Amino acid sequence: MLKKILWKSVVIAGVVAALLLSYNNKTFSQGAEEPAAKEENIPTKEPLIIKYLHLDANSADKAFEQAAPLNIKLQKQDKAFPQGGGSIKAIKIRGFHNGETIFFKLTWDDAVKNERVIKHEQFRDAVAMMFPLDLVTISPKTPFSPRMGDRGRPVNLWHWKADWEKELHLAGRFEHVEAEYINMFDDFHDNPNAVPVQNDLYSSTQFISGGRAAGTLLAKPDRGRSVEDLNAIGFGTLTSQTHQDVKGKGNWAAGKWNVVIYRPLTTPDKNDVQFVPGMRTFFNVAVWNGAQGDTNGQKSISIRWHPLTLERVKYQQQ
Amino acid sequence: MATVYNWQLGRKMDYPYMDSRPQKQFTAVFNINRCIACQTCTMADKSTWTYSRGQEFMWWNNVETKPYGGYPQFWDHKILKILWDQGKNPMEWFTSAEDKDEKKAPYGYYGGDTIFELAITKELKQIAVGYIPTDKEWRFPNIYEDTAASEKTNIETKLAKEFSELPEHQRWYFYLQRLCNHCTYPACVAACPRRAIYKRKEDGIVLIDQKRCRGYRKCVEQCPYKKPMYRGETRVSEKCIACYPRVEGKDPITKGRRMETRCMTACVGKIRLNGLMTGDPDNPDPKNPMDFLIRIHKVALPLYPQFGTEPNIYYIPPRWAPRGYLRQMFGPGVDEAIEKYSAPSRELLAVFQLFRTTQTMISRFEIKYGKKVHETLVNGKVFELYDDTVIGYAEDGVELVRINVEEPTWESSEERMITY
Repeated sequence: MLKKILWKSVVIAGVVAALLLSYNNKTFSQGAEEPAAKEENIPTKEPLIIKYLHLDANSADKAFEQAAPLNIKLQKQDKAFPQGGGSIKAIKIRGFHNGETIFFKLTWDDAVKNERVIKHEQFRDAVAMMFPLDLVTISPKTPFSPRMGDRGRPVNLWHWKADWEKELHLAGRFEHVEAEYINMFDDFHDNPNAVPVQNDLYSSTQFISGGRAAGTLLAKPDRGRSVEDLNAIGFGTLTSQTHQDVKGKGNWAAGKWNVVIYRPLTTPDKNDVQFVPGMRTFFNVAVWNGAQGDTNGQKSISIRWHPLTLERVKYQQQ
Repeated sequence: MATVYNWQLGRKMDYPYMDSRPQKQFTAVFNINRCIACQTCTMADKSTWTYSRGQEFMWWNNVETKPYGGYPQFWDHKILKILWDQGKNPMEWFTSAEDKDEKKAPYGYYGGDTIFELAITKELKQIAVGYIPTDKEWRFPNIYEDTAASEKTNIETKLAKEFSELPEHQRWYFYLQRLCNHCTYPACVAACPRRAIYKRKEDGIVLIDQKRCRGYRKCVEQCPYKKPMYRGETRVSEKCIACYPRVEGKDPITKGRRMETRCMTACVGKIRLNGLMTGDPDNPDPKNPMDFLIRIHKVALPLYPQFGTEPNIYYIPPRWAPRGYLRQMFGPGVDEAIEKYSAPSRELLAVFQLFRTTQTMISRFEIKYGKKVHETLVNGKVFELYDDTVIGYAEDGVELVRINVEEPTWESSEERMITY
């Protein structure tokens, strides 16, 4: 009798636990990504070789000519909510380092340049590189999500933005709303700042300025860079670092974006990926096409990690 | 997806997060019948929160003229069209006695798709169906102001000889006062892929974390009421914050007691009453003016309950607009609400006196019954007016207001009538 009851209770408890688990999984629909396919944890064979070149940032163009490109096929992000993207089919990446700084050059086709996000319906062109924060081995037995990292498996992301790049070269280093709405003050052909009280109002706005007061980098004028340094441990967890270390420059010409992203090989920030010449790690890449309304998870991605190898420093006899 | 209970629909529905009701819910009752569209609420809000660069188009509070007006333009036409064209059983309500339940389903049972359910069946890359309004649609805060719907557009009623006949005019329009509904199941919270938007447990106020937001505009896209707005200047989205420092009692004027929001207290027409509703919808407090108007007396109705977000700003529908239009906008409770409003009970009339008598939130009221002062006919029935006294108390029990139904009047003496 007792045995029967015990047996029954074990079965019921098991069923309840199974139900709870399955229910819980469904609760957070946005976390509900498609489970990782086996191939996602197999990095691609061909590595991107980061060539050692005794050149500095000023001669980067010359340097990239010597670096072998890696062509990566991109696809629609169809693994997690909200799915989208896929309009950018491929990206070409080259890289080199000079013993102090690591440089990447990313080139992709984009017929329309989108470098402003002031209107409701404006979205930016952007590109991001992602690295495992720590030294890892990636295989089906030791999985590491190529999407946005995972709990306990943080990633470091470098996100170049077309609008940040544009603002970097503007007087005032920021594009205000009047750049988009050039006649916004001109209803009555008045100078909006003619009366001192309006000047006071305008200078005080930063204190009640939502995102700017909260200190988000997106809202900040004069960021001094076009690449944002971020971390993530899965979809929806992307967080900007307090210590920004990555810089970049990009230009659009003849339907092509050419973006250079660079950073010192090592930084004092524990949230940054550290590069040592001779090491091997992985990277992944994503591209956003503003003209197609790409933002957030709506992006063109590569679903597999790509190996990254840094050449050793070759000391040259002078 | 989790399954949550929406009492406004009288049924369970799908929502991305589990049911987690706040302890108390920020709410307000707007009496549409009294609004004159002076936009004082709109300007009170504007001058407090949205006067900065990039907020030029932002009207967290706005008053629009129905049926044509809307801010952004045609926001409700568009979302209703999505539900109507693509949804299953759009606007289908079951309102028979067995479909209704005083606590669980006061308006009956809604059979159609909510914005969340339609998004699932359509397998969209959205949690709730929606769209991002274009610049053009954000341009006019009160387009078609005072534009009446003519008898041609009025499908339900035929051409009348007398245009000013109550309760339903042949030519009609009314003002709709809108702000963030601080929904129980907010579509903006559901839509945000970063969980940058949250609903506060203590008072149910929905806020966008300005530091966490990255300007993806998913909330702008998926809020059916179009109340989160993208601010081009800061590249992140903003929305009504329910004047939360005032609700928390941080304003020194109310001495630490909860205070009504700017748009509420500024109301010239005395159409607004703001307060906190009991968090548990199954046990409304008959002495709380919000619970009384919304749950006990059912004279105030939610705006577009069929969207499924359980909005928390409630409206007393206008008496003169066609019922079909009102039922679409406020659900099947319209007829009962208008009937109760037209000939209010003693309690209801007393609670109506509380509207705009104090800035402090009234959390409890009491009625002292007085003598009968007037008798008349309303809709063919005898209506008796009693000079009752209503007393409003703050959360801590302090008496805030004491007011009679019959307004005291004075006659000036002869000498005072001399004009110079």
